[in-house]
Amino acid sequence: MAAHPRTDREPTESLPLRPIRVIEVTDAYGAYAGRLLADLGADVVRVEPPGVDPVRRREPLVDTPQGPASAFGWFVNLNKRSVALDLATPTGRDAFLALLADADVLLESWRPGEADRLGLDEATIRAVAPELIRIAITPYGVEGPWSDRAATDLTTLAAGGLLSLGGYPDAEPVAVHGGQGLLAASIFGAVAALLGLVGRERDGVPRRYDVSAQEAIAAALEDAIPQYDLTGRVRRRAGDQPREAGTGIYACADGYVSMVAGRLGTARAWKALTEWLVEERVEGAEDLIEDRWQSFPYRQRQEAIDRFREIFERFTRLRTKEALYLEAQRRSIALAPVNEVADLFVNPQLVARGFFREVVPHELGRPVVVPGRPYRLGDEADVVLAPAPVLGAASAGAFPGAGNDPQPAAAVAPGRHDGPSVAAAFHDPAPGGAG
Amino acid sequence: MTGPLAGLRVLDYCWVGAGALVTKALADHGAEVIKIESVKRPDNLRLAPPYRKGAEGLEGSGYFASRNSSKKSFALNMSHPEAPAIARRLAAESSVVTSNFRPGVMDRWGLSYHEIAAFNPSVIYLSMPMQGADGPHREFVGFGSTIAALTGLVWSSGRPDRMPVGTGTHYPDHVPNPGHALVALLAALYRREVTGRGEAIELSQFESTVNIVGPSVVARSVDGLRPTRDGNRAPDASPSGVFPVAGEDRWVAIAVETDAQFRALADVLNRADWAHDPRFATLADRKTNEDALEAVIAAETRRSEAAVLVDALQARGVPAAAVETSADLLSNPQLAARDYWSRLDHPVMGSIVVNRVPFRSVPPEGAPRRAAPLLGEHTREIAASVLGIEGDAYEDLVAREVFV
Repeated sequence: MAAHPRTDREPTESLPLRPIRVIEVTDAYGAYAGRLLADLGADVVRVEPPGVDPVRRREPLVDTPQGPASAFGWFVNLNKRSVALDLATPTGRDAFLALLADADVLLESWRPGEADRLGLDEATIRAVAPELIRIAITPYGVEGPWSDRAATDLTTLAAGGLLSLGGYPDAEPVAVHGGQGLLAASIFGAVAALLGLVGRERDGVPRRYDVSAQEAIAAALEDAIPQYDLTGRVRRRAGDQPREAGTGIYACADGYVSMVAGRLGTARAWKALTEWLVEERVEGAEDLIEDRWQSFPYRQRQEAIDRFREIFERFTRLRTKEALYLEAQRRSIALAPVNEVADLFVNPQLVARGFFREVVPHELGRPVVVPGRPYRLGDEADVVLAPAPVLGAASAGAFPGAGNDPQPAAAVAPGRHDGPSVAAAFHDPAPGGAG
Repeated sequence: MTGPLAGLRVLDYCWVGAGALVTKALADHGAEVIKIESVKRPDNLRLAPPYRKGAEGLEGSGYFASRNSSKKSFALNMSHPEAPAIARRLAAESSVVTSNFRPGVMDRWGLSYHEIAAFNPSVIYLSMPMQGADGPHREFVGFGSTIAALTGLVWSSGRPDRMPVGTGTHYPDHVPNPGHALVALLAALYRREVTGRGEAIELSQFESTVNIVGPSVVARSVDGLRPTRDGNRAPDASPSGVFPVAGEDRWVAIAVETDAQFRALADVLNRADWAHDPRFATLADRKTNEDALEAVIAAETRRSEAAVLVDALQARGVPAAAVETSADLLSNPQLAARDYWSRLDHPVMGSIVVNRVPFRSVPPEGAPRRAAPLLGEHTREIAASVLGIEGDAYEDLVAREVFV
């Protein structure tokens, strides 16, 4: 059975990973994985190269008194600590191994051969950390003929196939917003780390995982794979040409709405939708209650798709997305506004649930809004947010024995890692705890 | 049975989308996932194409099969008055209970967390309501595509001069929502292993998906801007685009992050002259002249085969990848080398392809163990092994349409 290096940190309902220490040496593909573990109470130490970590430069950028700063970096580094180490030097390497000796999980983005070149081969790491769970998070995985390929989010979406489903039929494929290839890899990196922790607790085996961003995206192709496998048909991007009347994106007075009415057990929604349009005396709505329109195959015909859009947009173009949303939902029709991100700040549901939180990034000196955790676990009030750390802020405190430092706080400028968790984070590790 | 979750039993009321992928990952890692459904009320996904030709019907959906590998199916007619008590007995013998119904459905069957925890205090209970169990919009209905629209993901994806398109799929169902749910569920399981205590997890599909536009949320809270969507372009790369190559509807994605990569791109396309073109000298220059840049690149890439161009660019360290279709991916050399796809035998559909989780492990674990179950395929087995219901008692429950 695996030992817990830090028996002083008991898991709580809200923070089940409090006993866990994670060392993270990842690029943009892996940085959100550590964030997800940090949100669950793990002590996550991000090892950054001297100079500027590319994660701290990634878009979107915002202006601060200290120059442009990365909102991506702020988001993915919340609740972490930071250590600056040059792994190419013997001192840096030794310091890194000392960190691993006290860690449960290593999140890494090294390409094949890179760790060996740094003198951080598996045998060296196992010698200091025999029970360490290792998670590699890379664009293509570290095994396989493409593992050395250069990649960005855009090329990951291409290689994983999601790009083939996005965009307009009459133009080039269009990628989804927001670095989804990076975030998908990280989400499943966190899943792998947790499978490792659960598994080690249950059977004592210290597992290794090799996460591929390409594969994480290839898991998002909906019915495209079984469709080709079973029918030989290759699904392609459909863009603004929905596959059936009642489903798709429609223009309204102040933008667009998205709707699904008539698919997968929503036959009642189609009925409710047509009744609504008839009630509102929309020109042409009476056509939609004719018998042929009640047949799903008919609604999949191009003439039906076009005719429905014509009738429906006659109605929606006179109404706002918010008004359409509320009335459609009152009628149990799955319609939603196509919001801009800024619309989320005033969304009544998110506001009522107290979803958004604030932290003060030190470069900015005033609060920014961050989403709450993607789930509710225990009492969310227990979850204290700490802003992304200053580079190297924890360099002294992260090391074993740091708690005995007469001035441990010297590693952290006041207010730079504020929040009640700081004191606990700079604990004195149990001697020999990794054994 | 092997895997990190071997021996854990999961009572699974997740249907259709995101939830089914959560329990697929658990089942593929060794958990005994008991999927509850009924011929009276099958999982809607069983009725979704594509079908194997000649196998249309409840057992012929490739879509269903792709999300339910390694699970067991227990036919339990929840509208029968005796069914909820049987479900509670299954819950008493389970480590995990999962559902993605609208708020209130599980409660009506006496399967709320508090009721189950009263007799099974170590249960981990996952619910995945669309917008959460409380709040003014708790009853609102949605799908992955409408959740993506709510969060801003759709609006931000597409060309600036045309309507937004999003991913073209129900993306939140496929990655962020099952992924975040697994993160919370496995963390709770870890705590359960350490402390023996159970826990309830609520995953609002809306809130989970807001996190994957998290960096934009943070940025917008600072600058108050409402930036438009920008197609495939990116602030920190130029070109950053998808360019036509030889063949019908074939494309290559190219993202150039440095001036050195741009010179390499120019070389590979036999346009070394671009390196001296002042319009393209720096990232800032290329951003300023991006329309012209994309046009001249597209004129050159059209002549190339996708694989040849990508190999040449990769040899020079330029990030590039062919836009892979579903057909391409099933023969993709990287995925093949990593055994991403499994071929499984299904009693009705025959040989079907199913993916594993997006990681390999040492020791090797997580591959789909068997094809998706037929509806009720394991009712008799589970009734006997978990509930001790056999023989006449079992036949009686079938006859009275409880086990259907």
